[in-house]
Amino acid sequence: MTDNIPRGRRVRSWAAPAALLATSAVLTLAACGGPAASTSTSTSSTSAGSSTGVADITWQTMWSGNTLTLLNQMVAEFNSTHPTIHVTESNIPSATGDAKLLSEIAAGDPPSVFTEWNPVLGEYAADGTIQSMAPYLTGTYSGLEKWEYPIALQGGEYKGTLYALPMSMNSWALYYNKSMLKAAGISSPPTTLAQLYADQAKEWKISGGKLEQIGFDPDAGDNAGFEYYGSFFGAVNCFNSAGQYSFETCPAAATEANWLAQYDNYPLSDVEAMQAAYGAVAGGDDDPFVAGKMGFDMDGPWEGAQNIPVTNPSMSSNFGVVAFPGTVGQPSTFGQGNYNIIPKGAANPRAAFTFAAWLAGYDNETFTSTIDPKGGWMPASPSIVKQPAYQAWLKANPWLNVFVDQMSSSASVAPTLTATESEFETAEATATEDIAERSKTPQQALAYIDQQANSAAGG
Amino acid sequence: MLLTTQARMTSRAAVPALRSPGSRRLWLGLLFVSPWIIGFCGFYLYPFFATLYYSFTSFTGIGNPTFTGLANFDALVHDATFRTALFNTFYYTVIEVPFSTIAALGLAMLLNMNVRGQAFYRTLFYIPSIVPVVASSLIFVWIFQPSFGIVNALLADVHINGPAWFFSITWSKPTFILLGLWGMGQPMVIYLAALQGVPKEMYEVASLEGAGPWQRLRYVTIPMISPIILFNVILSLVLSIQYFTQAQVIESPPGSPGNSTMFYVTYYYQQAFQYLHLGYASAMAFLLFILVLIVTVVLLKTSSRWVYYENEER
Repeated sequence: MTDNIPRGRRVRSWAAPAALLATSAVLTLAACGGPAASTSTSTSSTSAGSSTGVADITWQTMWSGNTLTLLNQMVAEFNSTHPTIHVTESNIPSATGDAKLLSEIAAGDPPSVFTEWNPVLGEYAADGTIQSMAPYLTGTYSGLEKWEYPIALQGGEYKGTLYALPMSMNSWALYYNKSMLKAAGISSPPTTLAQLYADQAKEWKISGGKLEQIGFDPDAGDNAGFEYYGSFFGAVNCFNSAGQYSFETCPAAATEANWLAQYDNYPLSDVEAMQAAYGAVAGGDDDPFVAGKMGFDMDGPWEGAQNIPVTNPSMSSNFGVVAFPGTVGQPSTFGQGNYNIIPKGAANPRAAFTFAAWLAGYDNETFTSTIDPKGGWMPASPSIVKQPAYQAWLKANPWLNVFVDQMSSSASVAPTLTATESEFETAEATATEDIAERSKTPQQALAYIDQQANSAAGG
Repeated sequence: MLLTTQARMTSRAAVPALRSPGSRRLWLGLLFVSPWIIGFCGFYLYPFFATLYYSFTSFTGIGNPTFTGLANFDALVHDATFRTALFNTFYYTVIEVPFSTIAALGLAMLLNMNVRGQAFYRTLFYIPSIVPVVASSLIFVWIFQPSFGIVNALLADVHINGPAWFFSITWSKPTFILLGLWGMGQPMVIYLAALQGVPKEMYEVASLEGAGPWQRLRYVTIPMISPIILFNVILSLVLSIQYFTQAQVIESPPGSPGNSTMFYVTYYYQQAFQYLHLGYASAMAFLLFILVLIVTVVLLKTSSRWVYYENEER
């Protein structure tokens, strides 16, 4: 039988496309570096600086709103006082900040300094995503760890090694709406958990099936649930002897869970909706309490120092602050805040550390004491509190002393950073919702937290 | 058989003829197609095999992956949140796909009617589908805001206490399904084109035979546009199984309330970029590919029973 197609041509008809495909694949693989692409740490990242002798570093944050103005002031001040280091600041949306940081590190082009929410630092440190700062704690910086508040230091340590320095610490207390308190016939703010429950019950208002005013709901809003109220019950670090999360067997956690379950008189969905509606405006600086629609709110100093004056000045004379009543016998807060880290592969890490330490206020107490009040931030060290500017701020706003005093309270504690902190936080938030929605009992919710936080869940 | 000198000279003379012009056209064609080939290899083929590789490893995105065999797949079997994500995705897909198909087809049939302002109505119903997904999601958050949204305000006017929509464990998924209808302009346009391709003579014949509107729909319209229905259903299924953007934008944190909106892709995004479990997320991504492949193959295999192609004989 005769084949009409010449043999040579028939061979080429599949060989050519195959060769082109293979070439394309090889080129693409070469460009991407192959499956086991590791970050290409630039050797120049450890160099002292550019040819002009100035170390250029980049600083990325996830802040928005009024805080950006403060950051610009800080950068300008640092650049003017540190001629050998030049900082360029940029901000990215917080919703995708972590993913962006990871992408930058994987691409070998991370920022020199990144301001991160400290709970995730444990897994970053465990994975080698961030650099240890221990090598830089020499000379001038040898006293830095002792300079910090203990809870501020704990918030930046992973397995005893320093990985992050605080930029702004959080402290939490109970805000109350004075006019609502008066309207409800309550003469003074609550000092016990039972009093708080009774007082807030009088302040809810529903009209025509629509929620108009909230008394208090620890299960709803941005600062909700196990994580935020743990320190008031002594239920922050519940681990067993093997170092695993053990909330199910922690009596303090059980007390907290039962307390959270108490607040179920109003649909969580309605409260969340109202919280979200207010939170969607003013760059996230608004909430029902700022708007004057909430009787009690557990929040940080920025609520009164920044959110209220900027978003609803009429509330400035209508709120008070007391320590959140708890079961630990004294005012307390949990050590958490925004910390500055040096990502793996960052350019000029020593200069980056210098900047991070400066941002924390180390050897920079005077300037920091003028900035922290503007941001409504708690400082990293008692040395900053002693500065005249900070004292003047406290004198002008005596309610802030509640927050400051808690920073040095022996009952205040920072959550131990772990490699599964993100899973733990997600589990805490879900468990809070389950309790509020009554889809789990408090004990079941605690077991869920342990199960999720301790599970390997692949890698 | 040994070739004679003449035969060899003849065959050599014939060789240059084999290289052109056909093979030259082939190379030229390949050259023009090569950007797509390179893009396909770089953005589809390579990531596909890389994902398959990473699914057998423990990898955080930094440093080198560690081979763990089937550990990720084993962990998936025991992961309660994974099962929740699967259920939520199944729930959404099973309701959204038929719902949106019927709605888009119904709308196309209405817009196919010869009425005044036809072009205006067609434009009006198509425009929502070209609004960026993130923008429309954020708008929907406010439209369905339980406290201040227009939907609950209108319901309140008729003395109905509207639900908490996106904030309710019960209503969150149905609200996303309603949001999905916002984008039915695209399938609607495709159905409209298909409807206009149905020969009018077939309707005339059917009418002459005594077929009513429902019978014309069932025995003429649906069979004639069945290939387009199949196409849209497959597309809708694939998109529904990979539902992500709207859930990620609207719910904070993603998956709330109570994991009721934790869809498959939402969960594997969380595993990859929040927990840095890239190996685990890769295992999920690969399983998703298998799932979509199975669904598509099953649909195509069963399509012969209800899809009518004009050229085929039955």
